[in-house]
Amino acid sequence: MYGELGNKLVQHAKRTQSLAHLPPYQTELVRTVAREVRDLDRDVAHLLAPFEGVFNPSQEPAVACALLVDHLCIRRNKRCLLAYHRVRTEKLEELSWKGVDVLEQPVLPATGGGVGAEDGGPSGVQSSQAGNESSLSPEEGEYFRQYCDMLATYKGQWTDIDLTGSLEPPKDLFIDVRVLRDAGEIQTEYGVINLTKNSQLYVRHGDVERLIAQGFLERLS
Amino acid sequence: MSYYDIDSILTDAQKLPCTFELDVPGLGILEGNPGENIKAGTRIDLPLWLGEMLSIGARLGTSRLVTLDIPSALSERVMNALKADPRTVDLRSLAPNYYRLSERVLELFEEEEMVDILSNTFKKRAAEIADHAHNPKGALGDGVEFLRGLDETERQLFRVAHDSAKGTRIWAGEAKKR
Repeated sequence: MYGELGNKLVQHAKRTQSLAHLPPYQTELVRTVAREVRDLDRDVAHLLAPFEGVFNPSQEPAVACALLVDHLCIRRNKRCLLAYHRVRTEKLEELSWKGVDVLEQPVLPATGGGVGAEDGGPSGVQSSQAGNESSLSPEEGEYFRQYCDMLATYKGQWTDIDLTGSLEPPKDLFIDVRVLRDAGEIQTEYGVINLTKNSQLYVRHGDVERLIAQGFLERLS
Repeated sequence: MSYYDIDSILTDAQKLPCTFELDVPGLGILEGNPGENIKAGTRIDLPLWLGEMLSIGARLGTSRLVTLDIPSALSERVMNALKADPRTVDLRSLAPNYYRLSERVLELFEEEEMVDILSNTFKKRAAEIADHAHNPKGALGDGVEFLRGLDETERQLFRVAHDSAKGTRIWAGEAKKR
């Protein structure tokens, strides 16, 4: 039945909406839906071929009905594809405002397995992407990079306000942090700090806020 | 009801019983036998996005392509159950987007009584949902059965009611953040 794969894609999108991270891109599914659209288009051309440009729907109601069904299936698939990608791009924009670097984060193996086990259907698709390093398609990666650049340019207009900073007023000026990944040396007002993995530091909150958001540091309470 | 709305796309995917009014060559794929023809009088469950347009397109032309029927989720039996007690019916098992589906179906059919029954159902269930959202009884309370049967709209309602109650408590300083 036509349109069923598109439906599966939309169900993925629905799940994506309630997740905090971005699940892997359904390359295989998207490709199959696109292929279905091409098949339908060929079908339409095939149906119309004997009429040689002169087609009167009221004379051939049966053919008109078949054409209508094909056309509706194409439109439906288009809507599913667009909606799926839109949900994902919105998620990317949201992550970009939060300061999460999607491109840097490795895909958690547990997530892919969990999603596959939940509905059982596209488990083959999931496993074929296990080798993939990023959960984004190449186009999405490019989109994310450019969106981040745009956001940085926009924020650059106001140097004294951090638009993506936390809205919570800090309780303490200094906090304890643990370094999760090597981040090298950073320059602060009080001098240089060297962030080596697993070290624990007592630093000014404002200096490391970005690094916490990016996942380099973990805040200890 | 926007073009990109995921829930409305999922609503459109729900099935509606349709009867074909004429022979169509090569449409057997809808029935599950590709390459075959469809005969007049065949009954198939078609998704809303297909059935609706086929029946509307027919109204403009000379003959009808398909006639629609009320889906089983809105059948006489379910309506009677809803009339008796709206709170005992598992809407989710009937259709995950029950109210959205009814809305779409009622655009196609003239059913005054069904409108009354459904709005009454929503009102009664909304009160119950608010009650559960404000007084959570945990995963083993007596309301579990009811909460499992909520449709997508009601789930959102539950979430909003729950979060707002929590938000109020935090604002009043009775509860701690997170």
